[in-house]
Amino acid sequence: MSETTDQPVVETPQGAGKPDMIVLEGVEKIYPGSEAPAVSQLDMAIPQGEIVMLIGPSGCGKTTTLKMINRLIEPTSGRILLDGKDVTHVNGDQLRREIGYVIQQGGLFPHFSIADNIGVVPKMVGWDKQRIRERADELLHLVGLEPSVFRDRYPRQLSGGQQQRVGVARALAADPPVMLMDEPFGAIDPITRDRLQDEFLEIQRTVGKTIAFVTHDLQEAVKLGDKIAVFATGRLEQYDDPNTILTRPANDFVSDFVGGGAAVRRLSLLELSRLELHPIETDEKAVGNSNGSPVAEVDASGKPVSWRHLPGADAAGVALVTVPLSGTVYDAVDVMLDGSASLVAVVDEEGRPQGVLHWNDLVSGLRTRERDA
Amino acid sequence: MNFLDYLATNSQQIVFLTQAHFLVVLIAVGIGSAISVALGLAVSTGEPDPRRFSLDWFATGIREGGLVFTAALLTVPSLALFALFLPITGLGITTAIIVLIIYTLYTVLRNTVAGLTTVDRAVLESARGLGYGRVRRLLTIQLPLAWPVILNGIRVTTLISISIAVVGAVVQGPGLGILLLNGISRIGAANSFYQVLAGTLLCLVVAAVFEIFFAIVQRLTIPRGIRV
Amino acid sequence: MSTATSETVDLQAEESVEEVEGQQGRISSLWSQHYDLVILPAIIILLLLALFLYVGTRQLDSIEQRVLAPDNVAGLLWQQILLAAVSTVLVLVIAVPLGIVLSRRGARRAQGPVLAVGGFAQALPPFGVLLLMAFWLDFGFWTAIIGLTIAALLPVLRNTVVGLQQVDQSLIEAARGMGMTSRQTLFRVEIPLAVPVIVAGLRVALVLNVGTATLASYIGAGGLGELVQQALRLNRINVLLVAGGIIAALALLIDWLAGVAERVVVTRAG
Ligand SMILES: Nc1ncnc2c1ncn2[C@@H]1O[C@H](COP(=O)(O)OP(=O)(O)O)[C@@H](O)[C@H]1O
Ligand SMILES: [Mg+2]
Repeated sequence: MSETTDQPVVETPQGAGKPDMIVLEGVEKIYPGSEAPAVSQLDMAIPQGEIVMLIGPSGCGKTTTLKMINRLIEPTSGRILLDGKDVTHVNGDQLRREIGYVIQQGGLFPHFSIADNIGVVPKMVGWDKQRIRERADELLHLVGLEPSVFRDRYPRQLSGGQQQRVGVARALAADPPVMLMDEPFGAIDPITRDRLQDEFLEIQRTVGKTIAFVTHDLQEAVKLGDKIAVFATGRLEQYDDPNTILTRPANDFVSDFVGGGAAVRRLSLLELSRLELHPIETDEKAVGNSNGSPVAEVDASGKPVSWRHLPGADAAGVALVTVPLSGTVYDAVDVMLDGSASLVAVVDEEGRPQGVLHWNDLVSGLRTRERDA
Repeated sequence: MNFLDYLATNSQQIVFLTQAHFLVVLIAVGIGSAISVALGLAVSTGEPDPRRFSLDWFATGIREGGLVFTAALLTVPSLALFALFLPITGLGITTAIIVLIIYTLYTVLRNTVAGLTTVDRAVLESARGLGYGRVRRLLTIQLPLAWPVILNGIRVTTLISISIAVVGAVVQGPGLGILLLNGISRIGAANSFYQVLAGTLLCLVVAAVFEIFFAIVQRLTIPRGIRV
Repeated sequence: MSTATSETVDLQAEESVEEVEGQQGRISSLWSQHYDLVILPAIIILLLLALFLYVGTRQLDSIEQRVLAPDNVAGLLWQQILLAAVSTVLVLVIAVPLGIVLSRRGARRAQGPVLAVGGFAQALPPFGVLLLMAFWLDFGFWTAIIGLTIAALLPVLRNTVVGLQQVDQSLIEAARGMGMTSRQTLFRVEIPLAVPVIVAGLRVALVLNVGTATLASYIGAGGLGELVQQALRLNRINVLLVAGGIIAALALLIDWLAGVAERVVVTRAG
């Protein structure tokens, strides 16, 4: 995978060096009774610990591809390797116990308590009761559900978002190295979905699974994916990191699919913490020695409340808006538009100002910092 | 002598016949339901692939054929079935129970098949995705989820069986039908009316006992997560 | 108001579409949809065939010959059909309007009890009801008719109420929303949509009544039960088998006919 780009705005971690966890070799699926393959001659490798997003129009074979990996659907031809081992002919049920699986509709067992749902695979592979219970609590914690409240409930007593968290916990239960997720957040309202996505990334940071994730939402693919695989009917059109997909679509299909909003979508790939920000002053005396930096007035805890001085502008007429350092340029733009402000103060976790981003920076070019390990 | 006097003076016989009626129905419904649920489980494993030959084809064939056949049996008047079985199995309880079993088949089989095949597809798919094999899926997912529907089928078939069992007296099957046949053959004689009335009404008492029984079974056997 | 009527007429528009299909395609699609209707007649024919072969190979004694004489059997068969037919008509005439009344807004509260009692009443033996009628009204045809009607009433009523409940509520709301009165809604939407329900009720009533009518002979109303009774009294197994076979064949045939009628109505209603 070539990583050199003309616009090195964001460095993505190099895939090289990591072994491939899931490898599809010439995989093809022709459903009985249909002429055209649903998936044809697919070659694809997913490196260990990465999230690969499978995206494409409805009916293009995303689900089919995903289900061939755990052999819920048997490939017509081709080979599938998991951690270097050919699994095309091993026992399917055994195989599936070693692969996490999450689907859109949740699929929780309605007659099992939440803890029992999570314990399904551990029980099958023979863990003892105590260990299963501890594991369920641990996972409920991980997905943000208080164990003492939720472990004895039943699925119908949970909201859709909560059920989906349990679905993820259940898939993680026996600690499978690989997870397959088929539009897990597809049926969730946008606000909850956004939160689930954030939590999902958080979880992935601790568990580091190899994940194949089907979505039809480009925003989601860009946000979650280390790599994105764009499918057209039965074919893989482009397989690259999100930035490359957005900036240099391999062909017309991908560029159409990515659509006109690509440049804006890319903003959500740019993390503020990686940017060279303009300095911000909080010291009153700084107003005098006009070195061109904006000066903010801070409250007792050090949080900026208003602009005291803006070079070349009337400070009183500009609202002070802030965005957390952990956000992206997309968030910063959002905040500026929302507050009708031409600049935004970037603040750290305690709310203390770390720098400033100007509206003009977006046009004149954003500069990234050298990354410190 | 009024009806209550009649009941009081003949309480021994009446209680005995009511118990017999209850037991005949219990045995027949028990055996019939076991057969139907087992058959339903065996033939509801999956939809056959239209392009490929597999055991599923037999299962589907047996299922559809079995439903048509048992439904037809249900429409055959009980007197006819008693008459047809009498030469083979003789007078008495055996014939009564065999015929009752035949009448329980359709309702329980239909509800079993319906219950098993309408289990949420997403639940089944995730079960498969987590490594549940066919048998495990059938027994730990489909059966418990279908159980309320199956149990209701058994309940309905029990009610029907109570009223059919009465006719079993024609072949000297035990139960309340004996009161009816006795009463009508002695029509005009003392207490013959009360005899028939008691035989008819006590069927409702037997039904009430079964209803209580099923309410308890429901409470005990329907998993908490799907109880309404 | 004019739009309201044109909307409801659309309910029937689909039928004409089918006519466009070729005759051949129609027959083959009919076959593929309804091949199961052939199974029952085949069973009936096999049953009767087995019966005739059996009786044909037997040496019937004079008593058996007398009881099984075609005249005798045909007379009882006719009585049986008459009993079932008349009581079924009575049941429908009473139960269906009653079911519709129960589906009206004012009477809906009574539905729950009717369903509960109707369900429980399945355990009430029609045989007992029939015999009690004889004590009350003496033996005879009309007593049997009344007994049969009473015994089938609750099950059919229950069926009708359930069927009407299942008529799509949103259609009714749509009809009301277009400005139809509740009367217009009933006659133009609910009843047409409930026709399948009524036909299903007919089938239930027929099956129940054919079955119970075999027991009418115990109160002197004749019917094929007479054959069974005589066979038992005379201890003649051959007669028993013939009687059982004929009763079974008749019941299967009637259920099949009702089933075909049901199928026709349901496909019409689309
Ligand atoms: N079980 C099946 N039998 C036949 N065709 C199928 C089956 N499942 C999916 N297909 C077809 O295969 C194609 C790909 O389907 P799928 O993988 O579900 O698409 P996606 O998940 O991308 O929406 C579609 O054209 C679909 O109709
Ligand atoms: Mg899909």
